[in-house]
Amino acid sequence: MNRTEKYIRRVLEQMQSPKAEREEMREELLMHLEEAKKRYLYEGYSEKQAEKYALADFGNPSRIGRELQESIYPFQRGLLYVIGIATIIFGVIFYLNAVFLLHERIIVWFGIQLLIGTAVILAAINISIVGRYFYLVNLLILVSATWSGIDLMMVETAPGGQAFLFSLCLTILIIVSLIFVFRNSYYSTSQTENEQRKPGLVKFSYIMNLLFGVIIISLGLFFMWGFLVFIGMRAIAFVPSIPIFLWLTFYKFQMTYIAKKPLLSLATGFLFSGVAIALPFGILVFT
Amino acid sequence: MSLKMKNITFLIGMVFLFFFMWGISLFAEPSKGFSGFGETTDLSPDDETLVFSYFQDGNASLYTVPASGGTAKLLAKPIEGNSFINPTFSPNGDKVAFIKQWEVEEQERTFGELMIIDQTNGKMEQLTDTNNLITEAVFSPDGKTLYFLKASVYKNYSEIASKRPHEFDIFRMDLETKAIDQITHKKAYEMSGLAVTPDGKQLMYRSYGNGDQLVFHSLADDGETVVIPSGEFASGAPIISSPSLSSDGKRVTFSDVATKGKDGLFIYEAFKMDVDTQQAKQITSFHKHVTNPVFFHHSNSLIVTVDEKFGEARSEYSYWRVSMDGDQRKHLSINIPEVDDMK
Repeated sequence: MNRTEKYIRRVLEQMQSPKAEREEMREELLMHLEEAKKRYLYEGYSEKQAEKYALADFGNPSRIGRELQESIYPFQRGLLYVIGIATIIFGVIFYLNAVFLLHERIIVWFGIQLLIGTAVILAAINISIVGRYFYLVNLLILVSATWSGIDLMMVETAPGGQAFLFSLCLTILIIVSLIFVFRNSYYSTSQTENEQRKPGLVKFSYIMNLLFGVIIISLGLFFMWGFLVFIGMRAIAFVPSIPIFLWLTFYKFQMTYIAKKPLLSLATGFLFSGVAIALPFGILVFT
Repeated sequence: MSLKMKNITFLIGMVFLFFFMWGISLFAEPSKGFSGFGETTDLSPDDETLVFSYFQDGNASLYTVPASGGTAKLLAKPIEGNSFINPTFSPNGDKVAFIKQWEVEEQERTFGELMIIDQTNGKMEQLTDTNNLITEAVFSPDGKTLYFLKASVYKNYSEIASKRPHEFDIFRMDLETKAIDQITHKKAYEMSGLAVTPDGKQLMYRSYGNGDQLVFHSLADDGETVVIPSGEFASGAPIISSPSLSSDGKRVTFSDVATKGKDGLFIYEAFKMDVDTQQAKQITSFHKHVTNPVFFHHSNSLIVTVDEKFGEARSEYSYWRVSMDGDQRKHLSINIPEVDDMK
């Protein structure tokens, strides 16, 4: 690998572009670098010197990569860092509060909280590797938001004003997560071969489909939490969480479908959500 | 720094953070169970003394205190893992009957035995054998008999319900012979709030029919009269909790849903009901969780228990004296003596 190729690799390390876009970017960068190099060759510099000066003119490859990432996918990487860091900070504060004020050692909870926060930050660090898998990143953030929803129910029983403050932090975190998923879903549509003729409708369809998801996850968590409180840690208490898993799986296909058929996908999203909600009720009634 | 190094450094940092947090938690005091005032109380026949449970690290002892508040006096302390709850005075005030309750985690169930203590000599006696699930008791007006509620099973009828005492019936113990006989054969889903009418001819209890109801059971012919309080309950139908009968037997006080809180939680307040008209009226306006109202015998007042932290992880009960019209209320300031002070 020559110096130019190394340079381009370091630029692309900062970007979440999928394969096709990455190739396009590589060719464009190569073309610009070759042109700059030619100019130095024309001025009488040696091959090695011309390459060196051309790369120096372009600047730090990591910075260039970050700037390109921000121009194509503005704030997405930053949002991932915000979600991950906020998840970890919340975990540390709530854990210390639980251990020293409530005398509850919730180390398993803290382990899960830390794991989720770590996974989100790792996704931000390795944006060039995982960022191109839009659904995977969405899934990670939706799982993180669902876990924050569980936290939200946990903090309801915190004493005094703590419940309000913790709830406020978690609500903001969930909203930021949903904003990320919406934007990430929309950016994924630019990868579809179909030309977007109605971006407004596509955005609306993404928002509505995410809203269906929020309703399903909220209902699932609410009933699951209620069951856990009243009947304890038994398998049947987790039945209400089935729609959450179904919807998270369904969203993989829906993400692409929304880009292609934004209006029709509203109907399929609504219908699927209805079926997903009805399923656990059916299981509970017939068992 | 290369991407690989960034990942490794970050992961090491997170592992360190986990073990650091786990390590410092070892310095924290572990949870020892609930500490604070218990939910149920009873007033002595002369209205001078209040008996109540006080929990220390999950175990409840019985205390008495002047009905106006003050420093409490230890009446009975259980062994580790047991709790003394639901105390009730005998008609002459000398004795207190109560329930010794404990849990067996392996069996996932709770047990409750009938106990009695004589305040004059401090003698405590267990009245029933082991492995019962007795939940509450009340003296007959002559003080010679104890009526009590006993559940036959501790289970959940549905997969989506928690395990609780069920199949209740009322029993009677002759305190002289200790002979027990069964009064009802209902195997009721729920029974609570057992009381005896002043003439000793009827028992009152709360149960669940098509909804919450009060039942008056005739000891002479086993006939029963169902009473459903009518009043302005935020839940529509009444959701009766901890009913108590007045000394003259003409009124019942209980806790029921008065309003709904901002978060949708029911707010319970004390109500009073005229037994003849069955018309209930709200007494208290704490806008908190009010429970276990108990009549004073010789004045127009109640003692109620207020949960200051209803809906939170742990309750925090306090006791209040409230006038029957609800206009006046006074917090009972109770000082629990330190363990060393009690010796």
